[in-house]
Amino acid sequence: MLIKDGRIIAFVLLFGSFVLYYLFTRMMEQGKNFKIRTLAPLEALPEAVGRCAEMGRPIFYMPGIGTSLSLSSGAYILAGITVLGRLARFAAKAGVKLRLFTVTIDAMPLIQETIRNAYALEGKVEEYNDDDIELIANQSSLVSRYIGAVQRENPAGACLIGYLAYESVVLAEAGNLVGALQISGTVNLYQIPFLVASTDYTLIMEELFAAAAAVSGDAGAVGPIAAEDVIKLVSLGIMILGMILAPIGIKFLVNLLRL
Amino acid sequence: MSFIKSTAFKYIPILVFAIIIADYFFAISGLGSIAEALRQFAVVISNIALGLGVISLLKIHGKNVQRRVEGRWLYSIVTIVTFLTVFILGLINTNGEQYQWAFRNVYTTLEQTMYASTGFFIVSSAYRAFRARNIDAALLLISGCIVVFTNAPIGEVIWSGFPVIGDWLLGPGQLPGYRVLMLIAGFGTIVYAYRVITGNERGFFGGGE
Repeated sequence: MLIKDGRIIAFVLLFGSFVLYYLFTRMMEQGKNFKIRTLAPLEALPEAVGRCAEMGRPIFYMPGIGTSLSLSSGAYILAGITVLGRLARFAAKAGVKLRLFTVTIDAMPLIQETIRNAYALEGKVEEYNDDDIELIANQSSLVSRYIGAVQRENPAGACLIGYLAYESVVLAEAGNLVGALQISGTVNLYQIPFLVASTDYTLIMEELFAAAAAVSGDAGAVGPIAAEDVIKLVSLGIMILGMILAPIGIKFLVNLLRL
Repeated sequence: MSFIKSTAFKYIPILVFAIIIADYFFAISGLGSIAEALRQFAVVISNIALGLGVISLLKIHGKNVQRRVEGRWLYSIVTIVTFLTVFILGLINTNGEQYQWAFRNVYTTLEQTMYASTGFFIVSSAYRAFRARNIDAALLLISGCIVVFTNAPIGEVIWSGFPVIGDWLLGPGQLPGYRVLMLIAGFGTIVYAYRVITGNERGFFGGGE
């Protein structure tokens, strides 16, 4: 058989999803209007920058740990960098110093280019400073460096958006101690409670990807997000059907999904 | 650069994705070795990035020392000296006693110290979360207390029902919500991957404009 055993349904579902993404993108290009609901954390970005401008303090950004090439963290880091692009534009416009701390070596060129481009788009490329972006050796070094920088530089705003692990609670609490307005976002479920408790706004799970799409706002980014809602509804239907069929001994659906 | 941004970034991911995905789903002879080569290539790129990271690290800290940046340059010296020492020890022999000593007694110790400090931050974070300001927060507070008494040995002594309710909360009580969130995160990742491979997600290629 051409398709490997046990992967038929996965292939059908994935391919079907891609067809839906394409169709919704086409529909949007042809004038259908899909909107991503207002994401409070995204709306809070200018508020955080404005606060920093009023108080004359910097804004901090941490795009998470891991590497952009990794299967587990890559997508989250890239989505975080997309949000960073928007924040950098706000910061450049308001003349607020943007300080970034990262351990993600392979994402450094992307981060630098994103921030430099944001400054260029605001016509302030001469204000871009490579030294404001700090590459730190590893997770624990990042924690100590970030806490130290928070205490010394007193940021009025901070964003922790990307793939976050144990450092999330430490960094968020450090920001809290100096009264920074904090925006966070991650797909690491174990860190969500800490971020919700310690930061002002949180992008929960896939909201991080939706935020990245909302930043660009074009059909190719928003269309697939709209299609995702259809897929969620179909999945919900399959789950409800499974809940009804499995207890009465009908294993058709279970066997089908194992194909 | 504009050609790379406009064309290569758009079509290379599509090609790589097509090969990797075809290898996962289809049994086509010869495809496996191409996909494996691409996976190896990712490892190579990652190692090249590591080299770039080292250069960047030395550049940043070297500049700090050269300019005597206040509050940083002394730490930068420590960073550079530590880096060079461990790098040279590693070049000589990564299994050598000196390298292993530095790893065990310096790196691991410092790492564990930082990790241990998390406990204090969790307490202050929990204090903030557990203030019963509304019904949701009150439910969280009650659940949290029950789970604490489930895990603390004294909990069972106070009331034998704590572990029963606590185990239910940690199992069936939270598992459905956990799985739904994981499922949705999976959908989000697939959509994001689609946007990247079709060239519709370019925000991280220098701001996307």
